Amino acid sequence: MTTMDRHARVVLAGFGSEYRLDDGVGPLVAARAERESEARDVGPLSDPLDLLGHWNGAELVIVIDAVRSGVAPGTVRVVEIDVDADSRVTGGDQSAAPGTTSTHGIGLEGVLRLARAIGQAPKRLVVVGIEGERFGVGEGLSPAVEAAVSDAVRAVVGLVREV
Amino acid sequence: MTHGSQRERTIGVEGISRVEGEGSLRVSVRDGTVTNVALEIFEPPRYFEAMLVGRHFSEAPDITARICGICPVAYQMSACAAMEDACGVVVDERVTALRRLLYCGEWIQSHALHVYLLHAPDFLGCADAVELAERDRPAIERGLALKRTGNLLMETVGGRAIHPVNVRVGGFYRAPDRDVIAALGEPLRHARDAALATVRWVGGFDFPDVVGDYRYVALRHPEHYAIERGRPTSADGSDFDVAHFADLVVEEHVERSTALHARLGGRHYLTGPLARYAINGDVLPSIARQAARDVGLATRVDNPFQSIVVRAVELVAACDEALSLVEAYEPPDPPATEVAPRAGIGTGATEAPRGLLFHQYEIDERGTILRARIVPPTSQNQLTIEDDLRRVAQAGLDLDDHDLQWRCEQAVRNHDPCISCAAHFLDLEVVRS
Repeated sequence: MTTMDRHARVVLAGFGSEYRLDDGVGPLVAARAERESEARDVGPLSDPLDLLGHWNGAELVIVIDAVRSGVAPGTVRVVEIDVDADSRVTGGDQSAAPGTTSTHGIGLEGVLRLARAIGQAPKRLVVVGIEGERFGVGEGLSPAVEAAVSDAVRAVVGLVREV
Repeated sequence: MTHGSQRERTIGVEGISRVEGEGSLRVSVRDGTVTNVALEIFEPPRYFEAMLVGRHFSEAPDITARICGICPVAYQMSACAAMEDACGVVVDERVTALRRLLYCGEWIQSHALHVYLLHAPDFLGCADAVELAERDRPAIERGLALKRTGNLLMETVGGRAIHPVNVRVGGFYRAPDRDVIAALGEPLRHARDAALATVRWVGGFDFPDVVGDYRYVALRHPEHYAIERGRPTSADGSDFDVAHFADLVVEEHVERSTALHARLGGRHYLTGPLARYAINGDVLPSIARQAARDVGLATRVDNPFQSIVVRAVELVAACDEALSLVEAYEPPDPPATEVAPRAGIGTGATEAPRGLLFHQYEIDERGTILRARIVPPTSQNQLTIEDDLRRVAQAGLDLDDHDLQWRCEQAVRNHDPCISCAAHFLDLEVVRS
């Protein structure tokens, strides 16, 4: 089976790199959640554009990524994105701010807008963010982030089972 | 953003849009003359090189592939070539052919992404690919279909579309079956048609009348358009062995940037599509050469804005080459040559979509990496990109700040820099004083 003919009902996409300390939590959570559910993990991803072609027709897409928003490291947040929203949300390729950990050419919101414009948006999109602490070069997660992995996996699997 | 009086202008752009990664650009103007241009990069590849030290040589392809999420195959291929060189192993030609097929997949997906989603909006007055999709949906759909075919190749040969897991030093973990590879034929024929349509589409764009002063360097192979192997060659015909790359290319540290700036023989140079086309145009597949002729492309292109046409021609070449490889496919058996480590130094260079990617490793007799050096295309191109910026900014001083900033961003985008190869963060700042 290949990308061209395999479309899962529920798609998991972990963003990040395991060589970027806490940035590696997204792919780790996605891989574990795939083992515990019927969802398909298409990661690890580093470019949201790679979601195109993977999420077409999906009932639910769950993007799992490390975030840095100023809350306590290890905090897990589940954010439902309105896939039908008309407004141009922040993100896209204009949003790259100095100091973010993103290397994404076009942000998730930009990709969603693009997918909407060509009729390839998924029916539902949820972001599971895990607050990271360290994003330098290296392997392994911070203790607080490591401790949050099982919570994040549970959150993802719970979302999958609702479908 | 702009600061300063009429006499002094400083234009700063923070967050260059539609460039892989993040960076910053600063252009300073005084008394009507561009006095300084700086493309700032904040993180050196040295950190990754340090991470490789102490690891087993067999891990290099996968670790380095994760350095750059945008062209992982390029990193895998250069790492494999360097390790095989260090260990004195020459792989089976069938392995080389399968590597080339995998690499064609990366070229197709990377070029389709850049041409359609990142670069074309510049020429059509669109703010971004979304606006382009709203205006010309079939074009964007064609680009995405091309990208999917590239991903399909990577998934079929590499085991996974995004970060291939089937590559190892010496070859592959598993050779795909004949029928699996044969099934790529039909999508590749469609992709080649789409690539030809791409050349016609971008060949009709209007290009600013700019001529760069480029010193081109690319790998060259006598039989085909160099991708997975070749000899570093300049457009003037001079060439040298990959083993000498590390001695001839001098990287210097510049205060404003943590990335290293590369010079060859004391001068900056340019790698990537324009260089490859100028040096290897004679060995392009005939269908790609004809496509270039049909849109009036000269055999050497020095207008950086026309790089989009050259990328489209390379899309045709990659699709056609992949199709030939699919038709001639013989599964390598065994899928990999066993590589026993030995103490020594090895070098490898391949053509990533955006330019030449060099790796060098020193390993001990157990295969432990003692030293690593990675020279990504973007750090080689950085000085030339700054040179372009100086020229474009000077020529555009009559533009208002917004338009000048836009033009400068385009000048950066012409070279498809992958800032995340050279650095993780890049802020773009255009400053006028």
